[in-house]
Amino acid sequence: MTTALRDMIANPTTAELDLVARYGMQPADSRRERLFEAFSRTGLPHRRLEAWKWTDFKVALQGLDRPSTPPAQDPIPHAGALVFRFSSNGYFPPDHIPDGLNVFEKDEAQALGAAEDVPLGALAASLSGGKARPATLLLEVTSKELPRLHFQFSGEGEANFARVVVVVRSDMALTVSESHLGGAGLTSSVIEFGLQKGSTVNRAVYQRGTSEETIASTALVHLDADSHYTQTSLAFGAKVARLETRVTHQEPSAKATLNAAYLVGKDLHADFTTHVRHGANSCVTRQLTKGAVLNGGTGVFQGKFFVPRTAGQYTDADMQHKALLLEDGAVVFAKPELEIYADDVECAHGNTSGALDDDQLFYMRQRGLPEKTARALLTQAFVAEAFAEAGALEEVLRAEAEAWLAAV
Amino acid sequence: MRTMLKIENLTATVGEDDDAKTIINGLTLDVPKGEVHAIMGPNGAGKSTLSYVLTGRDGYEVTGGSATLNGEDILDMDPEERAAKGLFLSFQYPVEIPGVPVMTFVRAAMNSQRKARGEDEISAPDFIKQSREIGKALKLDAEMLKRSLNVGFSGGEKKRLEIYQMMMLEPNFLILDETDSGLDIDALKTVADGVNAMRSPDRGMLVITHYQRLLDHIQPDKVHVLSKGRIVATGGPELAHRLEKEGYEGILGEVA
Repeated sequence: MTTALRDMIANPTTAELDLVARYGMQPADSRRERLFEAFSRTGLPHRRLEAWKWTDFKVALQGLDRPSTPPAQDPIPHAGALVFRFSSNGYFPPDHIPDGLNVFEKDEAQALGAAEDVPLGALAASLSGGKARPATLLLEVTSKELPRLHFQFSGEGEANFARVVVVVRSDMALTVSESHLGGAGLTSSVIEFGLQKGSTVNRAVYQRGTSEETIASTALVHLDADSHYTQTSLAFGAKVARLETRVTHQEPSAKATLNAAYLVGKDLHADFTTHVRHGANSCVTRQLTKGAVLNGGTGVFQGKFFVPRTAGQYTDADMQHKALLLEDGAVVFAKPELEIYADDVECAHGNTSGALDDDQLFYMRQRGLPEKTARALLTQAFVAEAFAEAGALEEVLRAEAEAWLAAV
Repeated sequence: MRTMLKIENLTATVGEDDDAKTIINGLTLDVPKGEVHAIMGPNGAGKSTLSYVLTGRDGYEVTGGSATLNGEDILDMDPEERAAKGLFLSFQYPVEIPGVPVMTFVRAAMNSQRKARGEDEISAPDFIKQSREIGKALKLDAEMLKRSLNVGFSGGEKKRLEIYQMMMLEPNFLILDETDSGLDIDALKTVADGVNAMRSPDRGMLVITHYQRLLDHIQPDKVHVLSKGRIVATGGPELAHRLEKEGYEGILGEVA
């Protein structure tokens, strides 16, 4: 079996052979096999695949190595939150689980819809498990008043994989945060959210890594009628970091808000990819992505709204991506896409990238602000707009962005 | 020495290399302490260019002559250094800065200037008190000062906000570039009251305007006519009235 899978990956790299070996050590499980098969069709995704043309994990991850530096510090407060920590060598759930949250630690892999579309998600789902952690951590939310759930992905080794499924029952509410802190050559996590009728989720995602780490965060979000999903992400990139979110509006009048900011320095790469399917009438999507990139850094934005002919009527969707190239040598790739077959929809998108505005800079300097301060203040204000819906974590994300900009 | 702003035989170009055009062409001007001088001139005379050259905007190159403020050469300074020396430009078109609240901006500007001069930062309570008093005098809504700088403000509000910043920062030399443009009569009066309150024996002002209207409210000590990048006529306030009556062509025809 393992041999057959190995054969599926064309010209496997050392890292891919290592992943096949890791799969071989997992308990036999037909769903796990199906997941690893989905990954094996492409192997580590690479530039010859349209969806990965700017973010090449195959080249970035030649072998699975432990980074020379420890994982990044977690800026998201743990106090008052229910923290689930996934490290390379273990899984650490909270000591106490309150009423309103049911936790199921499954030894078996769970099927993943669209596994072929998310090869690194399929990989995470197939390699999560063994002695160190549940194959799937399944959480059921039956309360509106749970403390914030916090998932920390912070490795101490070559690789770190996790699979989480969160079901939010009708009319319930959840606040959730995630920190993707590297610490392993490859960290890949896949988290699914099922929002039942009238429920709400507010999710904040923080990612930080080094040029020795590759990080993939895959989120699949299914929205039932009248549910509301809000997501705010802040990524600093890694050797390559991909934060991918796929949202399906599967019943009418659901709403998704997807905000993100990437701040990328030298030798780092951050990729935000989103796919939103308006598979039901009268659903709303609001998406704002802001980026700021320094010399030697790369930012990627790929956004797609898909609106089928009959199901997607009365869609109201807006996608904005704005990037600042802070220095010569900064690189931003952007691909906003609207694929619309329904005829009664409002879909808009905007996409800009450029330098800071000279008129604004001169105005601020004329009032006495040194150029560096003026640039930092303008960039902070530009980026901070992306954090407006993050609730209690808005200030944390903003402070992280400000600290980065102050050090530029 | 009473002279505050001293400009001698200044020439400056706009644009890059081969496309550079000489806009200021041998301009000489003295503004002593305590005086208000008006510069009037037709479109294209170089009025706004002069304000940008004096404040150090990129894209304007000084090719000859000198400009000093209180005896110090300002032309080699960065814009922020000139600001810290007390030079303030009230913009013809104040710039919108989304996400930066007015008070945050002004406090950062004030403290940057103070730091550059080796002074202590202003305390938050002192800043708020001063802001409240000046805002009230200029009929600025307190809520407005918490909003993003100039974003969504009317033309009149933007100009009043320029005066607010001027009064907060207490510069010692003011350049007002077409401050009357876009103002109705009431707003013009409020703005002029603010400027007049800034008049002092220790402060100089250069009021750049196309029309004489503003000078009914801000009485200049001297009026200069700018044409083709140099001062071609100088007189008292009556010169502004003559310009209004006879037009630039009348006066310029006479001096040419």
